[in-house]
Amino acid sequence: MKMTHFIVSLLAGLMATGSAQATSLYVGQAKAGAVCAQCHGIRMPSADAPFPPLGGRDPEYLKTAIKQYRDKTRKSDIMNAIAGSLTDAEINDIAAYYGSVKP
Amino acid sequence: MKNTIKMLNKSLLASSIAMLLSSGMALAKSDDFHKLYQDNCASCHGSDHGGYLAPALNSATLKGRSPTALRTIVMAGSFDTLMPPFYGRLDDDEIRGVIKHLQETPKQPNPAWTIDDMKKSLKVYVKDESTLPTKPTFQIDDKFENLIGVAARGKYGRGEGSKAIFINSSTHQKVGEVPTGTAAHIIDFNPANPRWAYVKTDTAEIFKVDLYSMQAVRSIKTGWNGPGMGVSRDGKYIMAGSFVPHNAVILNADTLEPLKTFELEGIDPDGKHVSSDSGMIIGTPYADIFAIALENAGQVWVIDLNKEGFPVTRIEKVGRHLHDAFLTHGGKKLMIASYDDSIVAAIDLEKREIIKKLEAGCVPHVGGGSAVKVDGRTLGFGTNFGDCDKTVVSVWDLDKMEVVKQVPVSGGTESPAAHANAPYVAVDIISKDRRARTVQLIDKKTLEVARTLDVGGHAYFPEYSADGKFLYISAGYNGDEVVVYDSNTLQKVASVPMESPAGIFSRGRVKYMTRGLSPDEMEQSK
Repeated sequence: MKMTHFIVSLLAGLMATGSAQATSLYVGQAKAGAVCAQCHGIRMPSADAPFPPLGGRDPEYLKTAIKQYRDKTRKSDIMNAIAGSLTDAEINDIAAYYGSVKP
Repeated sequence: MKNTIKMLNKSLLASSIAMLLSSGMALAKSDDFHKLYQDNCASCHGSDHGGYLAPALNSATLKGRSPTALRTIVMAGSFDTLMPPFYGRLDDDEIRGVIKHLQETPKQPNPAWTIDDMKKSLKVYVKDESTLPTKPTFQIDDKFENLIGVAARGKYGRGEGSKAIFINSSTHQKVGEVPTGTAAHIIDFNPANPRWAYVKTDTAEIFKVDLYSMQAVRSIKTGWNGPGMGVSRDGKYIMAGSFVPHNAVILNADTLEPLKTFELEGIDPDGKHVSSDSGMIIGTPYADIFAIALENAGQVWVIDLNKEGFPVTRIEKVGRHLHDAFLTHGGKKLMIASYDDSIVAAIDLEKREIIKKLEAGCVPHVGGGSAVKVDGRTLGFGTNFGDCDKTVVSVWDLDKMEVVKQVPVSGGTESPAAHANAPYVAVDIISKDRRARTVQLIDKKTLEVARTLDVGGHAYFPEYSADGKFLYISAGYNGDEVVVYDSNTLQKVASVPMESPAGIFSRGRVKYMTRGLSPDEMEQSK
């Protein structure tokens, strides 16, 4: 009885942490495709493009950078405009997706 | 990575400098913007400003459009289309300048590109072809059949990303890359000698490619824009046709030297004399002829290759705005799509007359077409852009020349793929939303959609490997890969990364004439 109770609460705990931090690579890829890939590519930017690659970079760095662009603490007209509409969850998904790409 | 960031900084620096000097820029002549347009925009929007893969950009089409809104499109690109972002490639003054220039420039009259211009553009990269290797320099089957070519457009339709990429379709490994400068559009294989392929770009250059050593040996510029190209059954001639200017040319397939040009004009189905874009061009296994569609004139011309002066037989009133076609009955019959009449016209190439016009959904674009033999019937499959409520794939009985079924699919379609050994006919859904990620599979027997594949990106141009075991699909722009599926289980088996892949062309096409037919069909014609 006690054991069952323990397992249930453990599972509940795991699920709670899981959902709080859940990032989805699939959602991230879809969002990256709709928002970022036009310039940065879905994996890599075009060989001819002047944009920095995002694929394979540290997700924490990407999160920080996108949030700075969103909050306008880092200035770039085009990036401030594009990142402006992203939510924290979307930024996490995008960063997790690009972080998972092998450059 | 650092280099790219440096480049970005440089370009930002460059644009700041340009801004400082903007008073100087204001003096820039419209000649400069004309060149800027030709160098960055014309391969898709047309050298004559009349539109091509992308909309026409001229004083009439851009009348009343907000320059600020246009500037945003140029800077950021347009999602769900091939339009790339020019931010960082063009500076702000260039973008503002070219928009002003376009809003002041009318569509140009048919700019000339004569046989002499073509001759002067001929380039020879390998002078002595006897120095080329005598067999493929990479691993492939003995018959050299499992080769697939992909037209990789490159993000900007030009530059380093623009290539013809060749893949061994039994291992799914890249075996060669041939840079094409501007976006590759069509790849044709020589039916008589397996070593040669011909790649045509959106700016109408044709590259003769040695597939054994995977390099271009010659090239020629046949016009300003236009994808039309065909190869004769004996592999001796190429015919190429242009949107700009309105002409076509027959080339010696060996040397690429132009032999004769044709001005494309005639009486359209409404009785008006018009100058015409070139639509599809096709060689057929049954005779030494080319068939070419005159888009605006609504005519199909049949050109005899073994008669003096390449005489033309004109078949008139085929349909309004003709585009692409496929062959059936050993290459004796041609099924050609008419955008504006929403029909596919069956043409008898022997008698050189129209057999019948068949219903074909809305704005039919049959791509390379497909035909399969099922239960004793030969069924043709036709995709269409579906610019109306009815999104269907048309299925015709090609012996009786009648509509069998219009199969409902989830959106507009552009190209069907089939193979004698594969159970499904694959069609690419191109409607500009999430559906663009998908390809639907129609069961050959039930003629109903059996599966939908979520390929990603803008998935289009499916193609089976020559043995029918694998289905190759371009994930297109924002997909940047070719995805490979097992034809039976539809499990994803491989991904081949590349920039903005579009058309996929199996070397098997020379063997089975129209995709989906067995090679026996070709034998009948000989």
